[in-house]
Amino acid sequence: MAIRTRMHRRHFLANTARAVAGAGVLMPLWKVIAADGDITRAYPDELLSIEAYTKGRIKPGDTIDASNVEHVADLFEPVALEQIREMGRRVRIAPTTTDIMRLSPWEYMEATLRNRGRARFNDKGNVVTDDGSPWIGGHPFPDARTALELFAGLTLSWGRHDASLYAIKQFSLSPEGDVQYSYEAGWAELAPVGRLVLDPKPYWPGHEDYLRYQSVFFLSPESERGTSFLNLWYYDQNEFPELYGYLPHFRRIRQFPTNQRFEPLVPGSTLYLSDAWAAGDPLHTWGNYRVVGRGPLLAGVSNGWNAEHPNWEHGTHGGPQGNTFWDTTVELVPEAIICEAEPVAFSRAPVSKKRVWFDTRNMMPIAMVSYDRDGKVFRSFDGSYSLYESGDKRFMDGDHPYWSWTHVHAFDAQTRRMTRLEQVRQGPGGLATSVNDERIYERYLTRNSLMRLGRA
Amino acid sequence: MIRTKALPMLATGVVATVLAGPAAAQGMFDDVSVDFSGLIRAEGTYRTTDEENPSNQGGNIFNDQTITRQAFAPPNLTQTQLDNLGLGGLINVGEVGTWNTLPLPGFRDQVRRGDAIPSVDNDSNYTVFRAEAQMDINIGFNWRVIARARALFDPTIYDEFDAGDVANVQTGISGGPPRLYQGLPNYFEYRVEDGNGGYENGNDLEFTGDDYFVDFPALLVEYTDGPLTVRVGNQQIAWGQAIFFRVLDVPNGLDLRRHSILDRALEEFSDKRVPMLSARVTYQLPFNIVSDAYIGRFQPTVFGNPNTGYNVIPTQFTVQDMFKSGDYDNEFSYGLRLKGDYGQWGWQAIAVRRWNPDGTFRWTSSNVEQSLDGALLGQTVNAAYALNPLEGCGSTTGAALSETAFEVAPGGVYTAEEWFNYAAQVRLSGVEGLNASIAEFPCAQALNASVVDPADDDVMAQASNQLNTFFMAAGGSLRGHIAREYHQENVFGLGVSYVTESDNDFLNQLIFNLEVSYQPDRTFTNINLSREYLVEDEWSAALVVDKWHRFFSGFPGTYIVAQALWKNKSDLVGRHLSGYGASQDNGLPPGISNATYLVAGFLQPFPNKIWEVEFAALYDVQGGVFMQPGVRWNPGYDLTVEGFYNYVNGDIGGNPNDNLISTLNFAEEFSLRITYQF
Repeated sequence: MAIRTRMHRRHFLANTARAVAGAGVLMPLWKVIAADGDITRAYPDELLSIEAYTKGRIKPGDTIDASNVEHVADLFEPVALEQIREMGRRVRIAPTTTDIMRLSPWEYMEATLRNRGRARFNDKGNVVTDDGSPWIGGHPFPDARTALELFAGLTLSWGRHDASLYAIKQFSLSPEGDVQYSYEAGWAELAPVGRLVLDPKPYWPGHEDYLRYQSVFFLSPESERGTSFLNLWYYDQNEFPELYGYLPHFRRIRQFPTNQRFEPLVPGSTLYLSDAWAAGDPLHTWGNYRVVGRGPLLAGVSNGWNAEHPNWEHGTHGGPQGNTFWDTTVELVPEAIICEAEPVAFSRAPVSKKRVWFDTRNMMPIAMVSYDRDGKVFRSFDGSYSLYESGDKRFMDGDHPYWSWTHVHAFDAQTRRMTRLEQVRQGPGGLATSVNDERIYERYLTRNSLMRLGRA
Repeated sequence: MIRTKALPMLATGVVATVLAGPAAAQGMFDDVSVDFSGLIRAEGTYRTTDEENPSNQGGNIFNDQTITRQAFAPPNLTQTQLDNLGLGGLINVGEVGTWNTLPLPGFRDQVRRGDAIPSVDNDSNYTVFRAEAQMDINIGFNWRVIARARALFDPTIYDEFDAGDVANVQTGISGGPPRLYQGLPNYFEYRVEDGNGGYENGNDLEFTGDDYFVDFPALLVEYTDGPLTVRVGNQQIAWGQAIFFRVLDVPNGLDLRRHSILDRALEEFSDKRVPMLSARVTYQLPFNIVSDAYIGRFQPTVFGNPNTGYNVIPTQFTVQDMFKSGDYDNEFSYGLRLKGDYGQWGWQAIAVRRWNPDGTFRWTSSNVEQSLDGALLGQTVNAAYALNPLEGCGSTTGAALSETAFEVAPGGVYTAEEWFNYAAQVRLSGVEGLNASIAEFPCAQALNASVVDPADDDVMAQASNQLNTFFMAAGGSLRGHIAREYHQENVFGLGVSYVTESDNDFLNQLIFNLEVSYQPDRTFTNINLSREYLVEDEWSAALVVDKWHRFFSGFPGTYIVAQALWKNKSDLVGRHLSGYGASQDNGLPPGISNATYLVAGFLQPFPNKIWEVEFAALYDVQGGVFMQPGVRWNPGYDLTVEGFYNYVNGDIGGNPNDNLISTLNFAEEFSLRITYQF
């Protein structure tokens, strides 16, 4: 075991230094995935089993807290480690997922494999196919060699569905653990290009110049009810999106400047537009993308769906009043690529850089830490993804169980304010989480729909 | 938010998933849900000036001034009247000349308005408790019922003028809606003539009393199907990109009864637009164009009632609102807007056929039959008129006065100085107003009133003498009566928007909006209050620049807005510019050629948006400034605390009656609002 441990550490160190190697320790990961649909042959046992990694000290089903976190201290990003050590955070351990199809929407993973090797950057730095057309779906760089490729793939598709509508509950807590602000909101995304499920595909004729239509709208409390924003993302990642907003006080839709993306949308929040999916801004408004490390990580990528609650709501624990953190299940991610980037198009941004951990199995971000302009840890984000399948309960996306995020922590490490949000089944006004429904566009992603979402 | 829903979806949500129902097929709004939310709020102001509202009885600036009045012989006296006045042997008919020729010996007095009308001293202009509740009933996705109710209670902790206190002065106030003019201030009722000699509520969808107010800013049914949205019911419609400048924001009137236009500037008119019973259809057209059409039952702007905090119509005058008696409540306004957005560029166009919600004012018969009450002069005129009444004007001066725009009553205008001062304040012509009140009312002429020639060098003296003569004859003051009427008009508007791109951070992402409207043959209140209204073409143009800029890395970006408005015929509130520039000493306003206003504002959130500092300023280039610094605290726990200060200075150069701001000079105050939402 010691030999194999040393081997994976040497491997990660070497790959980090070169920043060009593909994922996988024993074999190239995506060669294994393409052959098996499973990652097992790519990694040694101690990267596939927390029990093996900790020499039996931690095993699936265990809970990690301050009493035993030192056994796995090197498997957490620094803020999460501090939360466990000092703030009473706990995480439950699940087995490592080796079936690649359980780590993304089925169609997305199929397309990733199908289109592997066809992506390149054009002269503007946008991802295109080998014939220069907009991307056609799936991750363009599954065997990513650079941080830019990882972020490019993430920016191309956040939720990995053609269309998503998330019903969201958001809570912002004071450092003392008081839930000061509670919001109910909706978040809609729709991809006009790279479509895999919705017809027409892969492109929506007449919309090829756009990468994404996205809106966020607040349904409660009363003070924010009707506040809604519509972002129209250009395919050209050198351009800022168009931003239209409906503010209740104005009773009408107005266009808003879009280059200020480090602003809390609602009082109490530690979440910015820029934080969305760890890639909330156009790709080339950030720069100096670089790989700074590799290694295993404990992260929430499975078992995050709370099927036991009729509205999928999650329990909480920890913090001064036992409610600062979501109850979270994590698993050993065999290999995470740690990347950094800097906000080059935002003067006076409060962030000097962000560090993002990508799961090499699906190239999704599993943690993010941002740093202030003095280089100090500023905020951290860790989310949980899951297949929406639990025992005999499933929430379906076409022929397959739905895959999506389940909850997120956005934590200000300097003030210890926490904003946590969760994806729920249903919100006010009949809002219900939905996926790949073409009606999402007309209902949530047009200027006309913005008026309806606004307060009458 | 409270959710009390009959929710087959939630109850069966997980069951459905067990049955492997697809997320898409379950739909997004396939069931019925009922959501209920709202807020309660205490709102109060604290005055920081001793200046009471001059438009109110208790704040009249002449209450503490002693003015000398001298009666003059009317130039159109008949020989009989001369004889009755004891002047028959001194002069002959036609020899009086003008109202500045012959002072009547012995008819001279001094009057101090405050001897009859008590002044008031308030610490607050406005203190209310507010509750708002909204219920949304969603029936599938396509149908929704929205009901929002707004209720206010004013504990009326004010030092108030009570018309009942002057019921025995002269003959008391008897004209106009009794609930507005004959007792304590009525803070919320909108009373209009019913056409049968009485008065009724002018808005059928509100329930009001003197200290409470309930209405429905939204009470509608909504149908949505793809790109189509239809809303039918009581609703507000806001158009245009300019904030506060209503160049294209023309569908609704404003409700100025509560805190007038003095609430948080960045809230704009969200609490002010008068909801209109209307149907609104929006449709998402190809090429990024949204069409938006409405047709609604006309509902006018509502002004503050007499003697309430922010009333702007001098209470020496009684308003007879003809909204219902003139059958305007059966009229409809309608319009269409098209709006297209193309990234950096955007455009919009409107065409509206509407009834101007602001209405116009003109002299009208008082219908108050009360003879002159002046001890000697009044009795003399009464007797003289009785001996020689004019056919059609009755046999007494009371009957004749009822056919004029004046009422013998306290709380009116007591002196010529007051007449001209207040005419200037409301941007009217004191001289021409006097003439119109005579020329258009034969019974006024029957009482020996006569027009004065504005071209005469001593026209102010003539007008003053005539006014003082009648005020003395009345036994104190005369109240004026004005009718409020409404007129149909067309509004055509165009707007264009542009978003800058620049390597210079400050010049990047500036959003420019230019809006221009044209209103051909628009009807304005004549500055002499004649029934011959001013009808002229009006152009309005507004330029708006929005910007978010991050000045400090530790603070969220600052929202900055700058605006300019130019109008060629009327001011921001619709008063014709030819009435600008008068004064107590000059009743013939020179007018101004255009009105130009500049606005600057910013909103600076603090980290996490828990605190927000904001500022807004309105500058009238003619010499007035309004500034509003404010702070908003969002402590969480469903509470919001807002405080803002209104600095008003309409006298920073030149004649204060040359600018808009001076009308609100009295309204310097600190406002505090504490809101709990549920």
